[in-house]
Amino acid sequence: MTTAESRQDAGVRDATPADTPGAAAPARPRPRRWRRKRPRYRLKDVLLAYALLAPSMVIFVVFFYRPFLNLMHWGTFESRRNGAFFEPVGLRLYREQLSGRDFLDGAWHSFQFVLYTVPAGLILGILLAVAAHRRLKGIKIFQAIFSSTIASSVAVTSVVFLYFFQPTIGLFKVDWLTNPDMAMFAVSLTSVWQNLGLSFVIVLAGLQTIPDEVVEAATLDGYGPTRRLLRITLPLLSPVLLFLLVILVIHGLQAFAQIDILTKGGPVQATETLVYKIQRLSRPDNITIGAVYSVGLFFITLFITALQFSILNRRVHYAR
Amino acid sequence: MPGDTLVDERVAADTGAVLGTSASDLKAATIGKSSRRRALGLTGQYAMLVLLAAIVLIPLVFAVLQALSPPFSYLNAGAPLHPVDVQWKHGTWLSGGPFSVVVRTLIVVAALAWVQLKVAGGTVRHPRALASPRRLIAVAAGTVATGVMASQIWSASVDRSPSTPAWWVGSVILVGATQIIGFERLRPVWRPLLLGGLTGLFVTAVVVVAFGAAVWNTAYHDGNLGPALLRSLTVTTLITIAQLVTATMAAYAFAFLRFPFKNLLFAVALGTLLLPLEVTLLANVQLIRTLGWVNSNAGLVIPFAATAFGTFLIRQGFRGVPPEIQDATRLDGYGHMAFLWRFAVPLTRPVIASFTVIAALGAWNQYLWPRSVVDDSRYQTAQLALRTITGTNVAESNRSVAAALIVALPVVALLLAFSRQIIRGLTAGAVKG
Repeated sequence: MTTAESRQDAGVRDATPADTPGAAAPARPRPRRWRRKRPRYRLKDVLLAYALLAPSMVIFVVFFYRPFLNLMHWGTFESRRNGAFFEPVGLRLYREQLSGRDFLDGAWHSFQFVLYTVPAGLILGILLAVAAHRRLKGIKIFQAIFSSTIASSVAVTSVVFLYFFQPTIGLFKVDWLTNPDMAMFAVSLTSVWQNLGLSFVIVLAGLQTIPDEVVEAATLDGYGPTRRLLRITLPLLSPVLLFLLVILVIHGLQAFAQIDILTKGGPVQATETLVYKIQRLSRPDNITIGAVYSVGLFFITLFITALQFSILNRRVHYAR
Repeated sequence: MPGDTLVDERVAADTGAVLGTSASDLKAATIGKSSRRRALGLTGQYAMLVLLAAIVLIPLVFAVLQALSPPFSYLNAGAPLHPVDVQWKHGTWLSGGPFSVVVRTLIVVAALAWVQLKVAGGTVRHPRALASPRRLIAVAAGTVATGVMASQIWSASVDRSPSTPAWWVGSVILVGATQIIGFERLRPVWRPLLLGGLTGLFVTAVVVVAFGAAVWNTAYHDGNLGPALLRSLTVTTLITIAQLVTATMAAYAFAFLRFPFKNLLFAVALGTLLLPLEVTLLANVQLIRTLGWVNSNAGLVIPFAATAFGTFLIRQGFRGVPPEIQDATRLDGYGHMAFLWRFAVPLTRPVIASFTVIAALGAWNQYLWPRSVVDDSRYQTAQLALRTITGTNVAESNRSVAAALIVALPVVALLLAFSRQIIRGLTAGAVKG
């Protein structure tokens, strides 16, 4: 085994079964001598590692895991007398609230937001990236313009669009933000613009990894631009597009600032997404309901985040 | 044949770049028969790019229009595509205190020097091309011209003088003319003229609007943006430093050290990716209340002092460090800390730089968390201040748009300075490497 390989081994699969002492014994001919020659752990290294990890781990436990366990626990209580005391009700609150009108409305609004923002984000991202991925004089300027919306935060975008949508003095002069049917669409529109830069940058990075030879070969085979895009470029881009899809969906599910600034959840709660509802449910008299909602949101995002994690992990595994 | 045209285009583009002529000219000359179709294709491509750029920039352009024009005057004027009834500051280039004078002069010097450098074929990293007397004169004269003419435009604008447009034209011509001094080697003759004119127009417009319009100051003072920006800056700096330190430490342990429960601890770190702030919000807010950290820097910073994403990213970078280096340094008697600071960190500088910029961007743009743990306006971050300003009266709503643009400005600067790092950070995980 070369140094590189052994190091790779140590880094990549430290606790795979073959490495643990019990499982290693039958596989290796002389386990005792191996162990004497090279101790498994050096005390100094172990202490140093734990010291280096301590700050991160404390934060992770205190601000990530413990709060989540707290929330799951709080969900088994019901508030009495405006939060003066809490009565344990088992899983009743979970059963009632997670199938309740309010939670489902919130989930539906979140879904609506995702539905309006994600496909548009993907398509526009591909459009901008394909348009800007070519050898032309001054293409760098166009690339900079296309990625410029990265500089705008959600709050900034929302404030700017708030006055576009203002019915009397705005530029669009539309009454969307006070119209229950159009409010979510208007809010989504701001996010579509806001996400342009991110989508563009990600798709362009993907395009740049496609070797020129592949596209040239397709051209030699008589593929026109449209067929090249549909048959060659997009399939080769699919991992990147999947990654972008996951990011956009997660951004969509976590949307808050847009709604807080543009509509404040209105009109008639038409833009109250799950996160917006959760943020409002922090008073003692309703925090246990908020806890149940949070757990619900967790399970909704779990699936998608797990997907992101698997992509991230796979990408990184073959990175070097 | 399609293949031939592709190759021709490449060759034409390459030779064109070498000879210093534009690729399209050369192609038109060499290829002949299908040149008209290709020229049309080239025009079409640029037309498409310009159209898309316009779509992306339209909200920005309108935002600037709205910031400059009081809403009702703008409406009464029939919503034209130029600012209406702009309020101008009384003053000249030299008013407003020494600090702002120095800053705005430096900005103009930097912009003109950048133009001269680019035209001379240099880059920011290799600015030697700038060191020629003509270019230095161009920068100095351009700065003086900008200052003098901007002062004239401002005073004419304040007086609503009919000669304002004349001063504008004069400024464009004068600033452009000073720039042409530096464009010595550009041929044919229309190129320095066009480039000088565009520079003059751009510099004049940006300088007059950015330093002369009164709305930025009003928005800044009315919205109490000073303290809010300072708060955001403090919080962003603290979060970025904390994340950088904890993530580098943890990544070092995961990448270079052998210790029991390594995989379990790594899973614990990555598991936090499944618990976004939105999910744990209520319990975290409760925790902050219990700790008494509502309205404090601690409450805004400490929950974000560690990051799984950064740990993961930097660990990947560390694993790219050749093992030979680690072995060699060990033989040379370097300890872990010396190896970390002298070798591991410098060798992974690109990764760490991207992560730093991304962390800063994320911290600056935070909204939900400050909104949930700050209820005192003295502890507002810049993003929260925007929310407060939007509550003011409709007749002066241009101020909130102006405030939004001011809050976006630091990020624009960050993007201009570190665009490569930001893009690498944002696309980490999307593409290999």
